[in-house]
Amino acid sequence: MSVSSVAENLRRARRGVGVSGSGSGAPRPVRKSKRFTPRTWTLLAFALPSLVLLLLINLYPVIYAFIQSLHNGTLLDSGPFVGLKNYTDILTQASFWNAALFTLVFTIVGVFGSWIVGLALSLLLRTHIPANGLFKVLLLLPWIVPVVVSATSWNWLVATPQSPLPILFAHLGFGNVLFLADPTLAKIVVCVFKVWISFPFMMMMMSSALASVDTNVYEAAKVDGASNWQGFRFITMPMIARTTFVSWILMTIFCVNDFPTIFLLTGGGPVNATQSLVVLAYLTVFQNFQTGPGIAIAFVMTLVLVIISVVLYRQIRKVNVE
Amino acid sequence: MSTLSVRRARVKDQAAGSVTATRRRTQTEQRKRGGWWRFALIVVITALVLVPIIAVVGLSFQPSLGSTVKGNFTLENYSSIFTQTAVVTWLTNSLTVTVVTVVIAVAVAAPAGYVLSRARNKLVSGYSLVLFVVQSLPVVSAVIPLFILFAKFNLVDNLVGVTIIYVGSTMSVAIWMMAAYYDSIPIALEEAAWMDGASLFGSFTRIVLRNSLPGILSTAIFAFLLAWNDYLIALVFLRSDPNYTLPVGLETFFQQNATNWGLVMAVAVVMMLPPIILFSFLNRYFSVGGIGGSLAGR
Repeated sequence: MSVSSVAENLRRARRGVGVSGSGSGAPRPVRKSKRFTPRTWTLLAFALPSLVLLLLINLYPVIYAFIQSLHNGTLLDSGPFVGLKNYTDILTQASFWNAALFTLVFTIVGVFGSWIVGLALSLLLRTHIPANGLFKVLLLLPWIVPVVVSATSWNWLVATPQSPLPILFAHLGFGNVLFLADPTLAKIVVCVFKVWISFPFMMMMMSSALASVDTNVYEAAKVDGASNWQGFRFITMPMIARTTFVSWILMTIFCVNDFPTIFLLTGGGPVNATQSLVVLAYLTVFQNFQTGPGIAIAFVMTLVLVIISVVLYRQIRKVNVE
Repeated sequence: MSTLSVRRARVKDQAAGSVTATRRRTQTEQRKRGGWWRFALIVVITALVLVPIIAVVGLSFQPSLGSTVKGNFTLENYSSIFTQTAVVTWLTNSLTVTVVTVVIAVAVAAPAGYVLSRARNKLVSGYSLVLFVVQSLPVVSAVIPLFILFAKFNLVDNLVGVTIIYVGSTMSVAIWMMAAYYDSIPIALEEAAWMDGASLFGSFTRIVLRNSLPGILSTAIFAFLLAWNDYLIALVFLRSDPNYTLPVGLETFFQQNATNWGLVMAVAVVMMLPPIILFSFLNRYFSVGGIGGSLAGR
């Protein structure tokens, strides 16, 4: 089941071709009727468990978090009502804006870095290479291996002066490079780590999109004198555009919400250089025990993310209709 | 239908290949010459990418600090972590939490995905949008209210509490993945069953679910990876050693034995084996594309 085959089915369904051949629009065993038929009840029962969980685990905390962000409380006590003071406090803090800036950089590098690497590898693996399947599985490993494990390993690779990478750099004549002690280097290491973790996801997305591009088209284009680059730019790119777009959105969400990648490698340091908004929110609540401001940070972030995701969600639908 | 069109394309491919023998020969020669370069390239890239993972495995077999073992290979680290640490408890906790999460997540998502796939109206697409928004919320903002709520029900430092949150946080994507799979099952099958007098529930269990094994496995793998790899929720909610899952256990152990890499990496290997084993058996069922497809389609 590939992305585009599913998307294709749906587009056909909208046009009225239907998965089952011909017939009316999308498959709809239930119409919005005035009467509640047994079918409607069945469908409602089907959706009920997910609805309960959604309300309890996902929506309740958001509402509660919002109320809590208006109070000056602790973890176990909601405290006095302070209005929007937490918000004005954090929005005037330099640490908030530093974290916001780093989140932005981290997200942009994470999304496009992993996309470029993932796309390049999926294009490479698409050609005839011996033991193709083996490489596909091996290259997925950074994504499958738990982040706690890979963070431990990266720590071993870069953290101390006795680690392999600093020793290698010293031998290459760069002197004593302390990867996690220098703010700029720490930022770079965290971003590279994120790309390393995320590119297999992009590779999978792009591979499934590329699988649906008919290779005969390239031969036809070659006969017409198109170069490889032109073939890529004008045939491949448009055909994988939708999946690319979806993968960017998903990866943006993954990056902005990412906690362990940063926290396990640097803990937000050195001198708060690698503090993203999530890490800052976590530290504010669980280290400084300032529940109100901590939630306010998370909530500002949530609000921005919700706006971005609703806008992008509509955008995907638009792309899909075309 | 989609598989059919892919198959058709493949047949066309083969037909095109046999048009002229000469063209095919030059092509394969070109392919071979380019192939070795690409092969070398991919070997180098794969080796570089896997350095951190190879390091974990390699270090776990190296004699640890203060060890009396001579040479470069030993299983001592493994025997000492199993005797000296609570790694077995952590492993059991992780496996229990993960398996229960997978079972419940699939049980919840399978029927809900069906609603998203088959019933198309304002209400359902609104629900789908809510699921999408919920998916994009940062876990950290939900963690604090849940912590306060769960403290009231004695679910903090409790594996049940953690499992509930895992089910909740896998749910959105699990529902999309199931819905995307159902979209590829022709509704004609169900319609035939309804003609014969089957109820919606009957056609769902006997026809749709029976044909959805790849979709279910794909969803299950996703839920497994999420629950197995989670760090933040376990860090906040699990407070005592006997309740730790492997991620928190490994991290705590790492902080206590930071320089004793052999032992730390042996725990790390224990932690990364289950997902790797699972994936090596089931990876052909896992289509991350399903996530994108369902998102794009709705």
